[in-house]
Amino acid sequence: MAPKKSVGHAYNIDFLNVVFAASSIFLFISVIWMVWDDFDREWKNTQRRFTQLEMEVTRQEIAQAEREVDTFELQRLEEERASAQVSVDSNQEILDELGSQVDGLDARLYRETQDYQFSKANYDVDRYEFEVERKSRGAAAVEEQQLAIEEQAREVEALNLIVEGTTAELERLQGEISGYTADRDAAQTQIDEMLGDQRRLQDRLKNIAPSLGKTFLLDAPMTDFLAPTIKVQQIVLPNIHDDVNFMSVPKMDRCTTCHLSIDRQGYEEYPQPFRTHPNLDAYLGSDSPHPIGEIGCTVCHEGMGQSVSFRDAVHTPRDDEQAHEWEEQHHWEPPHYWDYPMLPVGMTEASCAKCHREEVFIPRAPELTLAYGTYERAGCYACHKTQGFENLRKPGPNLTKIKSKLTPEWVADWIREPRAVKPATWMPQVWYNSNSSSPEDAARNEAELAAVVEYLFDQSEDYVPAVSSPPRGNAERGKAVVDQVGCLGCHVTEETDRAAAGPRRTFGQPLQGVGTKTTYTWLYNWVRDPKHYSPETFMPNLRLTDREVADVSTYLASLTSKSGTAAPVDVDQQVVDDVLLGYLKSLMPSRDAEEKLGSMDPHAKQLELGEQAILRYGCFSCHEIKGFEDAQAIGVELTEEASKLVTRLDFAFVDIPHTKLAWFTQKLHDPRSFDQGRVLEADERLRMPNFHLSEEEIQRLVTAIMSFQRNVQPRAALPPETARNEFLSVGRNLTQRRNCVGCHSIEGNGGDYVNLVEEESLAPPPLTPEGAKVQADWLYAFLKGPISIRPWLDVRMPTFGLEDDHLNGVIQYFQAIPGQVQPFRTIEPVRASNETAIGKELFELLRCQQCHVLGEIPADQPTANLAPDLRMSPERLNPEWIDDWMIAPLRIQPGTRMPQFWPNHPKSDFPHFDGDGDRQIRAIRDYLLTFEGGPSPN
Amino acid sequence: MDFIKGIFNVLSDPRLFFILGVAALVFMIWKREIFARNTVGYGLLAFAAVFVVFGYFDPNFKLIILKPDNVPIVGLIFLLLFFVWYSIREGVRNDRRIAAGEGPIEKEESDRVWVWPDLVYTELISLIICSVILIVWSIVLAAPLEQPASASVTPNPSKAPWYFLGLQEMLVYFDPWLAGVVLPSLIIVGLIAIPYIDTNEKGNGYYTIAERKTEISLFLFGFVILWCSLIILGTFLRGPNWNFFGPFEYWDTHKLEALTNVNLSDYVWVRLLNMGLPASILLRESVGILAVLAYVFVLPVILARTVLKHYYERMGSTRFYVGAFLFLMMMSLPVKMLLRWVLNLKYILAIPEYFFNI
Repeated sequence: MAPKKSVGHAYNIDFLNVVFAASSIFLFISVIWMVWDDFDREWKNTQRRFTQLEMEVTRQEIAQAEREVDTFELQRLEEERASAQVSVDSNQEILDELGSQVDGLDARLYRETQDYQFSKANYDVDRYEFEVERKSRGAAAVEEQQLAIEEQAREVEALNLIVEGTTAELERLQGEISGYTADRDAAQTQIDEMLGDQRRLQDRLKNIAPSLGKTFLLDAPMTDFLAPTIKVQQIVLPNIHDDVNFMSVPKMDRCTTCHLSIDRQGYEEYPQPFRTHPNLDAYLGSDSPHPIGEIGCTVCHEGMGQSVSFRDAVHTPRDDEQAHEWEEQHHWEPPHYWDYPMLPVGMTEASCAKCHREEVFIPRAPELTLAYGTYERAGCYACHKTQGFENLRKPGPNLTKIKSKLTPEWVADWIREPRAVKPATWMPQVWYNSNSSSPEDAARNEAELAAVVEYLFDQSEDYVPAVSSPPRGNAERGKAVVDQVGCLGCHVTEETDRAAAGPRRTFGQPLQGVGTKTTYTWLYNWVRDPKHYSPETFMPNLRLTDREVADVSTYLASLTSKSGTAAPVDVDQQVVDDVLLGYLKSLMPSRDAEEKLGSMDPHAKQLELGEQAILRYGCFSCHEIKGFEDAQAIGVELTEEASKLVTRLDFAFVDIPHTKLAWFTQKLHDPRSFDQGRVLEADERLRMPNFHLSEEEIQRLVTAIMSFQRNVQPRAALPPETARNEFLSVGRNLTQRRNCVGCHSIEGNGGDYVNLVEEESLAPPPLTPEGAKVQADWLYAFLKGPISIRPWLDVRMPTFGLEDDHLNGVIQYFQAIPGQVQPFRTIEPVRASNETAIGKELFELLRCQQCHVLGEIPADQPTANLAPDLRMSPERLNPEWIDDWMIAPLRIQPGTRMPQFWPNHPKSDFPHFDGDGDRQIRAIRDYLLTFEGGPSPN
Repeated sequence: MDFIKGIFNVLSDPRLFFILGVAALVFMIWKREIFARNTVGYGLLAFAAVFVVFGYFDPNFKLIILKPDNVPIVGLIFLLLFFVWYSIREGVRNDRRIAAGEGPIEKEESDRVWVWPDLVYTELISLIICSVILIVWSIVLAAPLEQPASASVTPNPSKAPWYFLGLQEMLVYFDPWLAGVVLPSLIIVGLIAIPYIDTNEKGNGYYTIAERKTEISLFLFGFVILWCSLIILGTFLRGPNWNFFGPFEYWDTHKLEALTNVNLSDYVWVRLLNMGLPASILLRESVGILAVLAYVFVLPVILARTVLKHYYERMGSTRFYVGAFLFLMMMSLPVKMLLRWVLNLKYILAIPEYFFNI
């Protein structure tokens, strides 16, 4: 083969030498590459950058600390120290002499202490042996040893005495020394205290500053396994679990490897990854309900907590722009390998439900609360069974008495395109959607639509109105009533869009065009007593007078709109037959279907088709319809929808990213778009109706869906099961689901009515402090029969007619918010003449009556200044609350006009009781509690 | 460009792929003088390289070849091509020498063994080069760590390790007990048995084709066609739901294939005799049972008396029948494949009642 073969080689050895050399060099290079590749990590550079930032922030803090030091005081102390130093210096010789004596004593004490300790150790050993010996052989046999032990104990004691003697001597000497130096030392201590912060920060600066030792030894490749300063940070969370399908394992979050200052104040203004968490009071802070060591990061934000690479942690970009930016900077790519990518920032609250699932509505989660509000308003739960949303009322109106309320023509035009009639309605569009809009579909749509209407009217019961020929009223006066008494908390009358009105103001049916929709008689009877027509309605009683009822009805009857979209094609019997035959064929063999069809008259066909269509499109899920009492909801259950894997979602031919978020968004945007490009029979097509949701509504609903996760968190992660938590969750659900939050702000949620009045003080009051404020008995009576507490307000508290069960739920909820469950008790004001007299004096001095009503409404005050009748106090208010209220009204109710009379509490600007603020407040309170004769709900 | 891709997509249909493979094998042995040329060998490698580079620019093909699991298989294809060609070339060269009366080249210097430095040195160099390759590979190609496993969401397609993909391909044609238990066992037993069956001393220690043409053809058929090409098929051409996809086709999970295969008993009773399936299993499957028995027990005897008479005489009955059994077992795969493709035959013998299907 090769020329060298002749001398005994199969290969050219010189050539092999070259190959060997070259391959060795490659090996060397690849090993270096390997070490470097292992060493060079994204997060290490992030930590290096953070060190620079931390130093900068620390320097700023040092500068801040320097500024805070009182320089005059410092100078004074330094002078004091210097002058004391002079007197110390003048005694230097004596001090030197004393110092050397102390040194000698120190050495002696060390030796003597050691002698004592050694001797004691030996004694302990011998004593133990003696005890064992005596136990086994009896006291008589060990007498000799006993003597030895006692002797030893005496020796130990003697050594101890020597130590004590020397210690006393040393203390005496030190006392002598400090006699000379005490002044200087005191000044020094004060200086040290003043500069303490600064020095601590300077030490920290020194500690974190990079150094050669750190760079080339501790953090260098190969040696960085010993004690690196740059290292992975992790939080192990035994009580919070990751669901990895076959088991759930404790979470391990390494996010803080890069987000180093997420729980540290002072980094709010710096860019990610170093920015401080925006809400340390609620999350991560050590005093917050979710401290970082117990909650970690990914239980809320999702993503893969164990990863320390930007890409593998599965960050989710805010928008396309950010996605591109990340692709360039961090080699980001859409997630493939982690089933739970990070939630977009606006949807993080969806994760609250992981631990707070049982509660449904959660405080401090305004986005999620709105999301659930939207979910309920849209009636998603009616078709899609969802844990936490079971047994709610049907979201749409009752249709069992439709005949008395509507005409078939109006209904047909309405359901053809509901939003054309009422832009704020939640009624979705069932026909003429993206998979049923072709010209061939029009006839089919019309056939089904007409049949559904015919079925509804055929099945409708009669309704006899309580007042059959109602009087007319004044529309203008009616409008004033509607605009003012509070109807608008739940209803929309103006031509506003649904998204603009929001879920709380669309709690009741929008009243747009209600005059075109129904008759005056029906309207009058409904306004007069809604429960007469629909006993299960949530509509409360606003205690309108008969005249007001007539006015309001007249006004509502004047709200007209176009009556809907007309049919684009006419339907002939052939189409009805074809469509109905299709339905029947899916129920029975073709021949039977044809036979059945042949045996029916046109009316029966209409009814049969109507029934089949209602069944197919699930109208009965939202509306009460006769004949469908036991029908099953048509949608898929959503209880664990967010835990569904992407592979379970059918993207068909729709070109969107294969992620859950994209799919849910697309589904809500156009529920039937996944039929695009497919060849389908009519009964195979998707049937979810189109709600024409706005982007904002879609975002909310996706947030709600993303909160529906499989329960994997262990009991220990969930909020404790206490009576208070139970009251809170029952009450929150009640106040959300009865739309109390439409008018009142409770625990930071709701109070939308405030946007409808000129001034905050004219809106219904916020109810967060209500439990601390009022007595339970009074609240119970008030809710049963509300009275006017602020007669100058137009808006009224309605009578909800709640059952005792619900009333107790509300009361317990309000009491649970401040954590005060009120016991039964007797409120006895101190009636000592002296005290109440001073109370009265103060009451007049502070001119409480200028704003507060005492029987008569003060005439000269603007309504915004007026305050409730104080004669109600004994019956209504909790005495302790009155104290708290007077001390700091703004803390209880931000925005209140009640002045703070004791800004320096407990000091007082008034001379009574020697300026004792507490006694003054108590005196006023006791004076209030002597009032009588105020309005009472009892 | 799309046209070329289309051609490759069509050519890689399992049926064509298999038939073309067999044809190539026959051509290779038959026209080995041409095949043994250096231009052909390097040309083949170059063609494969160009194909891979060409395919790299196709997003679907790129996904398949760059999947960390598949990268070694791409490399192995080149090794396979090279070593098959190399062994044929060496065989052809020796055959020429033998024909010229010179004897094989390996016998030329049989008095010497080059251990030091030739063997040891080259081994050392190989060690170093392999280390470099492994290190660079491990840096450049991260381990394919995927999402947490889930019993309810298995990967689609679920693929065996690459070296078992030939076996997995057999599952398309046979039940698991055959494709996963009996046939693999027979492969191992057969490989062990070869030296005892094949006692021909020709070709020991040197390359030759002419002296062992049948044996080499048989081996190449079993190894290259039935083993390696099925691995390639399984790796590159089987996508979601084990459906077939051309190399440049998108792996669409929703692609459907009509599975309209029927059993031999259907053919006999329903289609031929126009009657229902008999209730008795034995009667129903009688044709299948007879066919299988004939294949295993009658066919070897017939072969021994007719076509392979001289083998029978040379090897003796024991060796011949063991060898013939192993050969027939090997051939059962292509036979079943052909039956499936031509007749849509699902099972020759189908007793699902006892999970016994052939």
